[in-house]
Amino acid sequence: MTMIDEGRLRDVLREAADSFEISEEAIDGVRTQAQASKNESWLSHVPVLARLPGSARGLLTAAALVLIVGAISLPLLRSEGGPSQSASPAHRSSSGQVVSGTALKTATSLKGLPTTLTLTGSGETPRPGTSSTSAAASLAPKIESTGSVHLMVGQGKVSSALATLGDLAIRDGGFVLSTQATEGTRVTKSFSNGSIVLQVPQHFFASLVAQVQRVGRATSIVTSSNDVTGQYVDFEAQLKALDASRGQYLAIMTRATTIGGILAVQNQLDTIESEMEQLQGQINVLDNETTYGALTVSLAEAGQQSHVVTPRSGLAKAWHDAIAGFVHGFEWLIRISGPALFAVLCLGVLLALGRLVWRATRRRI
Amino acid sequence: MEGSTDVNDFEAWLQECYPQSVRTAYLILGNRLDSEDAVQEAFLRAWKFRDSLVKESSIRPWLYRVVVNTCTSKLRQEIPHRDRRSGGETLADVAANDDFAGRIALSHDVMSALNDLAAHLRIVVVLRYYADLSEREIAIAIDRKPGTVKSRLNEARRRLAEHPALRSEGPGDSTSSEEISA
Repeated sequence: MTMIDEGRLRDVLREAADSFEISEEAIDGVRTQAQASKNESWLSHVPVLARLPGSARGLLTAAALVLIVGAISLPLLRSEGGPSQSASPAHRSSSGQVVSGTALKTATSLKGLPTTLTLTGSGETPRPGTSSTSAAASLAPKIESTGSVHLMVGQGKVSSALATLGDLAIRDGGFVLSTQATEGTRVTKSFSNGSIVLQVPQHFFASLVAQVQRVGRATSIVTSSNDVTGQYVDFEAQLKALDASRGQYLAIMTRATTIGGILAVQNQLDTIESEMEQLQGQINVLDNETTYGALTVSLAEAGQQSHVVTPRSGLAKAWHDAIAGFVHGFEWLIRISGPALFAVLCLGVLLALGRLVWRATRRRI
Repeated sequence: MEGSTDVNDFEAWLQECYPQSVRTAYLILGNRLDSEDAVQEAFLRAWKFRDSLVKESSIRPWLYRVVVNTCTSKLRQEIPHRDRRSGGETLADVAANDDFAGRIALSHDVMSALNDLAAHLRIVVVLRYYADLSEREIAIAIDRKPGTVKSRLNEARRRLAEHPALRSEGPGDSTSSEEISA
């Protein structure tokens, strides 16, 4: 057994500690300094949070936690529930399914300038607090429209129907973007079918859809409109900013005296001009898409089985809904894991900081 | 002594606790000048925060707590980043100045053993065997649970027992010795 001689330890410690005299000057020094700080309130040296009573401190901490969790989860919730809020049913097909929404939400962002523009229909005003709102308000709405119509026509009338559809587009100031036809034969007992993509000016799009339905029997109509005004304004603003930067670099270029300086400025100019060209291209695409509406019409002879997928019902529908729900749930879990991890990290850091502050506060005394 | 904001009480603190606090700090820090600095700082801090002292509680462990915290702070922040001050006597120097050869060797061994201990163990040993605080008072002084104090004391005793100067074999000195391991 190993033991410690406590008596010896006490003696040696006492001997070592008593080996010097405590000077009175040191005590006087403490006394003097204590007198000097006599009137000083110790409260001024304690952090505000530590001075609060326990309940108030708890409330403040809880409020801070709620703020952090809210700040993390709100954008997430917004992104989760966004599209379904602004989608609105507009038309129903002959088979009864919802086929189009005329107003959709558009959310875009400009570098450094958060912008969110939501237009729920052509008559509504955009939400305030966005950088592109004022610019968008002064700009004519940029709406891109697309759609598809499935028509059943009589036996041997696919070709003539295609020609009629082409005429409809041209009459409205549009054109035929593409066309495709397959001729059926009696030998192989196959049916004729075809498809045509029509582009007409935006303001004729709705009338074109109506006229197309008269060419045959429409089995499904799907149209969608998307307001891209905000996106358009963002692109234009970016282009404007880049153009201003380009001007500044050009001014710098005139003052550059060394080859290295000129090359550096030229490099920047190349980058900016490349970005400008990309933006201009995107603007052109948006311009084109919003100038003309595109309608795809697919034609089939009567008696041919429709390609339109009929809505499932009963057990099959339930089964597919279950699978879709499972996949969506899994996707949601993956999506939320990032913010959740971030929230946990924040909480951990907060707890660690709180513990440090608490210990430091206790140590001060 | 009861906590008070009266200047007379501070005078009483000084008279009653200052010398022993300096000596305790000296055993913890191993340097006289550092210990005087630490205790001066600790007393001024204690005076500044005197209102937070629980009126009914004894001031001794509370004051020791301030001293220990100041010493710990010095050990963490200042002392590791510089050489020991010249002119200040170290524990080893003190032991070496003793006239008696046997006591010199004994003191030297004990002080070396003490200095070899980690700071948190050295603090509980000094508070227990020099300041004569109970485990409960030490717990207050170092702001830990009594169980932690007991555990640290056991660990410190086990380590100190490795030094021949402090080892005591057999049940012969059971009155002054404590069994630390089987």
